[in-house]
Amino acid sequence: MKKCLALALAALMVIALAGMASASATPTKLTLWTFIDQHAKFYNEMAEEWNKANPDKPIALEATVIGYDDMHNKLKIALQSGIGAPDMCDVELGQFPNVLLGEPQLVALNDALSPYIDTIVPSRLSIYSKGDVHYGVPTHVGATVAFYNVELLEAAGIDYKTIVTWDDWAAAGKKLKEANPDAYMGNVETTTQWQTSLMLTEQGADFQDNSNPDDPKPTVNTPELLKAVETQQQWLKDGIAFLCPGGQVDTEEGKAWLNTGVCATVIMPEWYMSRFVDEIPDMAGKYAIAPAPVFEAGQPRSIGLGGTGTVVTLTCPDIPLASDFISWAKLSELGESTIWNVMGFDPVNTAVWDDEALTHNPDNKFNKYFLTNVFDTLNEVKGEIKYVSSTSISPTINSYFSSTLWNNLYIDQLDAAAELEAAQEAIEADIF
Amino acid sequence: MTSVRKLLYSKKIAPYVFVLPFTLTFAVFFIYPLISTVRMSFQDILPGQVKWVGLSNYRRLLGDKVFGQAVFNSVRYMAITCALLIPFPMLFACMISSKSMRGAGVFKSLYFLPVLTSVVVAGLVFRMMFSELPGALMNSILALLGKPPIYWMKMEYPSLFALILLCCWRWTGMNMLYFIAGLKSIPAELYEAAEIDGANAAQKFLRVSWPLLKPTTIYVLTISIYAGLAMFTESYMVFGNNTSPHNYGLTIVGYLYRYGFEKLRMGYASAVGLALLVGAMLINLAQLSVTGAIGPRRARV
Amino acid sequence: MTRSVPGVRRPLDKPRGNLVASVILIAFFSILALLIMVPLIAMALGTLKGGAELWRNGLNLRPEFGKWSLKSWRYLFTGITVDGEPLPHSYFTWFKNSLVIVALQTALTLFISSFVAYGFEMYEFKGKSALFLCVLLVLMIPFEILMLPMYVQANSMRLLDNIWGIMLPFLASVSAIFFFRQYLSGLPKDLLDAGRVDGCNEYAVYLRIILPIMGPALSSMSVLVGMGAWNSLLWPMLVLTSMSKYTLPIGLNTLFTPYGNNYDLMITGSCFAVLPILALYIFAQRFIIDGLTAGGVKG
Repeated sequence: MKKCLALALAALMVIALAGMASASATPTKLTLWTFIDQHAKFYNEMAEEWNKANPDKPIALEATVIGYDDMHNKLKIALQSGIGAPDMCDVELGQFPNVLLGEPQLVALNDALSPYIDTIVPSRLSIYSKGDVHYGVPTHVGATVAFYNVELLEAAGIDYKTIVTWDDWAAAGKKLKEANPDAYMGNVETTTQWQTSLMLTEQGADFQDNSNPDDPKPTVNTPELLKAVETQQQWLKDGIAFLCPGGQVDTEEGKAWLNTGVCATVIMPEWYMSRFVDEIPDMAGKYAIAPAPVFEAGQPRSIGLGGTGTVVTLTCPDIPLASDFISWAKLSELGESTIWNVMGFDPVNTAVWDDEALTHNPDNKFNKYFLTNVFDTLNEVKGEIKYVSSTSISPTINSYFSSTLWNNLYIDQLDAAAELEAAQEAIEADIF
Repeated sequence: MTSVRKLLYSKKIAPYVFVLPFTLTFAVFFIYPLISTVRMSFQDILPGQVKWVGLSNYRRLLGDKVFGQAVFNSVRYMAITCALLIPFPMLFACMISSKSMRGAGVFKSLYFLPVLTSVVVAGLVFRMMFSELPGALMNSILALLGKPPIYWMKMEYPSLFALILLCCWRWTGMNMLYFIAGLKSIPAELYEAAEIDGANAAQKFLRVSWPLLKPTTIYVLTISIYAGLAMFTESYMVFGNNTSPHNYGLTIVGYLYRYGFEKLRMGYASAVGLALLVGAMLINLAQLSVTGAIGPRRARV
Repeated sequence: MTRSVPGVRRPLDKPRGNLVASVILIAFFSILALLIMVPLIAMALGTLKGGAELWRNGLNLRPEFGKWSLKSWRYLFTGITVDGEPLPHSYFTWFKNSLVIVALQTALTLFISSFVAYGFEMYEFKGKSALFLCVLLVLMIPFEILMLPMYVQANSMRLLDNIWGIMLPFLASVSAIFFFRQYLSGLPKDLLDAGRVDGCNEYAVYLRIILPIMGPALSSMSVLVGMGAWNSLLWPMLVLTSMSKYTLPIGLNTLFTPYGNNYDLMITGSCFAVLPILALYIFAQRFIIDGLTAGGVKG
């Protein structure tokens, strides 16, 4: 009996030792928060690839999807209190200045980004930076384009390719309205400003004067912004644009509305095509992609909007590993092509845009959904992609816009010039 | 050891042991935080940076129109909910306690269901009912009336209506119960005497029920005032977050939450909190002098 | 005709009012009951129609039998989505967390608060009235005003992201202390002396004699405390940061986001969250109604 026991023990020990020898390095557990399901899927996929490529430093990624407001509030609280933050976190552009307040409790990613830095659009890094220190890894360019519902437009005898200016667009809208009273040429947003930002940068303006980075000033009462909002007010009066359900098209209500097929144009950043494919299934094969209209021919036709910068927090147990992983996952060639293939985003490495095999792959679900190839448009506007500044005062500006200004202008149709003056004053008063 | 034991068990020390849990909680989660709030209200606090800024947080507060709006919203909400959630539940309680009523227990149980539903669930359901989609419940009702769908939560009065309706939905049953209990404690002889005097139902209500329900009414009023002024979760759930068009849904607590946790301006939020504390004390003093009694407030758990 | 609520005032041999009034009253209260049930019915219907339908057409009362399916319920219980793909969710983790917090918080609050109330009611000691004034002070100040300093305090005590951080500040609940003291004041004091004569020490008197006879007060307060703990959102939302520790209200709230496809889980989860409370209510109806009303009005 005793012998048996001894033998069994010995056997156990041998097995245990063998197990220890054969097991490769134990994976480092890393947590990540995101507010977008698709991103979580992407990170999980990239973690698997990372483990294949780096068997010596594997990671066990735990990606959690939390609602937009909750996630950002929790992150801010966690950074403030120094407890409870994830190791990595997607931070939406509009929220980014909030996590940079004071001394950012985030890891400077300059070293981890250095292998990729020459190939990425610089403006996409600077929006996630404080001075020269980069805190966020960008996901995409978010170049704004126009999505045209060709079926709807052709039925009204309109060729979207002839639309160059907003005047052309509005004229087409009137024609569409006559042919089809239920249809709308486009929409007007009330909770965000994708379209308005584009219309502003087309004229070379911005929502703020960022010439002194330490003391940015809001510039909301400008003639350029006035022109942008008055144009949209006119569309509403003429009945050619609809107040977007849900406040903007990137909401459940907005997507449900687009799915009914009454909207002829969606002016959105490139990443919106993933929403088309995943959540607006009935419009497959109906939309084409083209450069957005401008006020006067020759103005820049695109702007990089939205996006998330992924940050690494100072409380992360293995900062170099997390920094390397997240930079690699989002910016390596494999990462960039996965970002396009899985999420349908326009990679920040614009060199990828010329890779025909990747961008024109006929089996790609994003290519299949649309009538034209998005990269043809992207390459056409490549040199014209502007951006709006993102600084510490951006959240204040944005929150006044979404809570008050757009409502006053588009729902209540109040006088635009007076409202912009009031906005300038209110925003100045709210800045700390 | 035994002496410690003896001391602990002595009749002199025992009372202090009994009240110790409260004393500790009070010191740790009330007094100490209060002192640090006073300190923080003179500072500008950002992650990794603390600056003394003197009175500037208070100066800012005085000039802040949005704070005024938050106070206005909370007070208006409180006033409307008090105006609805006292007379109607009282009336319903009198009706349901009437001799002619049958099956009162079943109804009381049904009316109590919303009380049991959590604010989060109720808020989610109301948000979807008041969605701007044409097919959503409230817009379908408008359609039945031949009206076009509206943006419920983007307009001042429709969104206020949604919040008030949610509050009435949740608390009518509860307040009814309070009044039913109040009615129970009124001796039946009083009604009988009134009947002998030839009083009708309305007279019985005015002469007997109403005056004798005064303590209940004061209690319900007190908790309603507090709940109304401290409302936050309802608005947060129905609007989907703490930002609402024109700040229609912004309440006092929402304002504190916005600056303390969303904008990470803890120093300013501390000044706001202290101002509110003073406000709450003033309301209590006023109430004490009006009713002459200290009413317990909504369950604090 | 039996009444489900005990303790109702009228003996059965009394005259029972007139028939017309009965009909009018019952009709009136039936309509009111229907109105009150509308959101709950809409929610139940919503679970059958599924999440996609919810965001396309909104929550409404149209039956639309053709759209009914139990697929979103299947997702809740099996983690297999409406499309047949496995997609794990944390609903039952949140559910369990909530149950643990409700059980612990209710039990501890009742014990600690009645303990304190006993001290206040049964003894005369130096500083008693000043200390009780503090109880009233806390009673009069909404917790929400103090959430920021409490948060800072909880942080410095390393109580964040910890279920004790959710509970600790509220275990010596002032409203429970106030309520229990009120209840105890109605008890005859000779009980204590009887206990002491039996050789009990001060604490044993509380444990063996007072606690058992406080049954009715404890059970009604348990409902209030339990309901509060089950529903509480703001403080737990501040304290908890890990998804795995979320309570049900926080978890459900995170599901309502335009960036995910969680509506199936959100609607069935919301509906299911009402059920345990409902079961408890049916089980303990008499305590709840009597307790809630007794507590406030006499206080």
